[in-house]
Amino acid sequence: MSPIWNNCLAKLENEISAADFSTWIRPLQAVESENQIRLLAPNRFVLDWVKQHHFKKLEEVIHDFSNGALTLQLEIGSKQSAPPKSFSKPAAPVVATNKSRPNNLNRAFTFENFVEGKSNQLAKAASIQVSENMGKAYNPLLIYGGSGLGKTHMMHAIGNAILEKKPSANVIYLHSEKFVQDMVKALQQNSINTFKEYYRGVDALLIDDIQFFAGKERSQEEFFHTFNTLLEKKHQVVLTCDKYPKEIVGLEDRLKSRFGWGLPVAVEPPDFETRAAILLKKAHQVNVDLPQEVAFFIAKRIPSNVRDLEGALRRVIANAQFTGKPITTEFTKEALHDLISLQDKLINIDNIQKTVAEYFKIRIADLSSKNRRQSVTRPRQIAMTLARELTSHSYPEIGDAFGGRDHTTVINAVKRVNELKESDIKVSEDYANLLRTLSH
Amino acid sequence: MAEQLPLQFEFNTQQTFHNYYPGSNQEIVAHLQEAIIHRTEQLIFLWGEPGLGKTHLLRASCQLAYEQQQSSFMISLNPEALPDVSILDDLDAIESVCIDNIDAIAGIDEWEHAFFNFFNRHRDNDQHLILSASSPPVYLTVQLADLKTRLNWGLTLKLKALTDNDSLGALTFKADSLGFEISPQVGRFLLTHFARDLPSLWALLDRLDVASLAAKRKLTLPFLKQLLKTPSDV
Repeated sequence: MSPIWNNCLAKLENEISAADFSTWIRPLQAVESENQIRLLAPNRFVLDWVKQHHFKKLEEVIHDFSNGALTLQLEIGSKQSAPPKSFSKPAAPVVATNKSRPNNLNRAFTFENFVEGKSNQLAKAASIQVSENMGKAYNPLLIYGGSGLGKTHMMHAIGNAILEKKPSANVIYLHSEKFVQDMVKALQQNSINTFKEYYRGVDALLIDDIQFFAGKERSQEEFFHTFNTLLEKKHQVVLTCDKYPKEIVGLEDRLKSRFGWGLPVAVEPPDFETRAAILLKKAHQVNVDLPQEVAFFIAKRIPSNVRDLEGALRRVIANAQFTGKPITTEFTKEALHDLISLQDKLINIDNIQKTVAEYFKIRIADLSSKNRRQSVTRPRQIAMTLARELTSHSYPEIGDAFGGRDHTTVINAVKRVNELKESDIKVSEDYANLLRTLSH
Repeated sequence: MAEQLPLQFEFNTQQTFHNYYPGSNQEIVAHLQEAIIHRTEQLIFLWGEPGLGKTHLLRASCQLAYEQQQSSFMISLNPEALPDVSILDDLDAIESVCIDNIDAIAGIDEWEHAFFNFFNRHRDNDQHLILSASSPPVYLTVQLADLKTRLNWGLTLKLKALTDNDSLGALTFKADSLGFEISPQVGRFLLTHFARDLPSLWALLDRLDVASLAAKRKLTLPFLKQLLKTPSDV
């Protein structure tokens, strides 16, 4: 730290508003030389702002503290190593950590610590196949499903497993928007050929969230060619998407069709048992002994996605560490009190009925009516099952909310829907879609 | 004799953890400090009603990061005048980034995408992010589902509102930092006659400080009542 700049900061702290000081002045990094002090701004926006609003003041204090010996130079930069800004420097992570590999793969995501359940076992099996038979098993492998269900984890696990088997393999993981950004930069810098060579030369290309290609025609075209080249060479392509590609608006038909060439596998929201297993595993990873009944409690109350589960677990662990209390169900109820009451406000029987009625295009009143047509009874049974899974209401309370039905009707509805989820793909999909809608 | 005019300079107090009155929010202060010093939680989402000191805590976190010789950056977003998204460019390597009022970007497509991309890059670099909003992630009207689930990923902490005892403690704490004493009697009087959120209380004390300095009188109940007769003074 430059001693002169330190003095300047101490002075400026009292002369500039706290808001301006913390946003514009403190982030500047000083590099002092014999006759100059260079202040590095993290980006153009900050640089322009500081130049426009604070340059004179900065010059003044630097002049005072250096007795006129230092001049001020403002520029964009950082004293740390620069982030990998483009495809031409993919091998330089910003901060070398034991978690990240140079190819953007996160070492922490492996198959070993991926919790398998009914909702994701097919995707996991296919991913293992791909990592063991790169370019031969399923190409491309497309993993699709809602946000926060472990698609990215699976993708990193594939990359890590490939490298485990063949350390010299050129595996690249990136988010689709990074591909777009790199391409824009390449076009600006007249280096599109280098860009093409780079991405078309990898052994395995793992691209996350391809739905973000929607509406970006030039990027889609480039990706189309990259994709074809890799497949022709029998190099592996793995993609993730938040929905089945055919449903993406703004994605070219030829891409939609090609993405379906290999194996598209879905990941669904985790079921109760998988949610509990995920919690136990995550707790174990951070050396916390999570009682099983606590895992069951959280899994029951947080029915949505893995990120929400992780967030809840973090809250419980952080609270236990702060208070020094053991993690029990009572303690967890208290620690998650806010979260659970919010969840309850968001997911209640009224909301479930409204969502189910909209989904099946029937009237809300039909769900409480005596109507026994299957177009109404099935949605009613599904709504009752969702109410049982997502709320803490008892069977009689749920029965009451559906036109004063007996609690045995609700028990039978839940049993029937759970059977149908196993045997009827349509019911299983409808249920998963509704669960996803209600949990976000 | 003419009233003495107090010297009108504004001492621009830096907002640090030392001058934050935690009340029932000690746990939050502890987690923020721990996250900065020991680089523990990668994402902290702080939420609570306006006036509980979220901005103060974010500034304090940046100050602490600076003291720990870490790079830090703070943006306070104003929903009425959001800056250009390029303010997020190249912040990936900044060790602690604090964004105040993140709810301001909800529903604004360009900002949601830019922040989503920044979030991923910054997280991939193992850097730390502290966000604040007036409601929890699940209530934000964020349209990008991937962003919404990411906001829920970290440690979400709710700032608790001040109880009457906390408010009294806060008044004494602030008065002490301004260099004068405030009796519990005066404190209770202020709490029953004025707005009790922290910014209003702080502003009130600043004004009372000036008034008592001008009158060269201690801040007693009779003096306060006398001031109240001329409300423009306070």
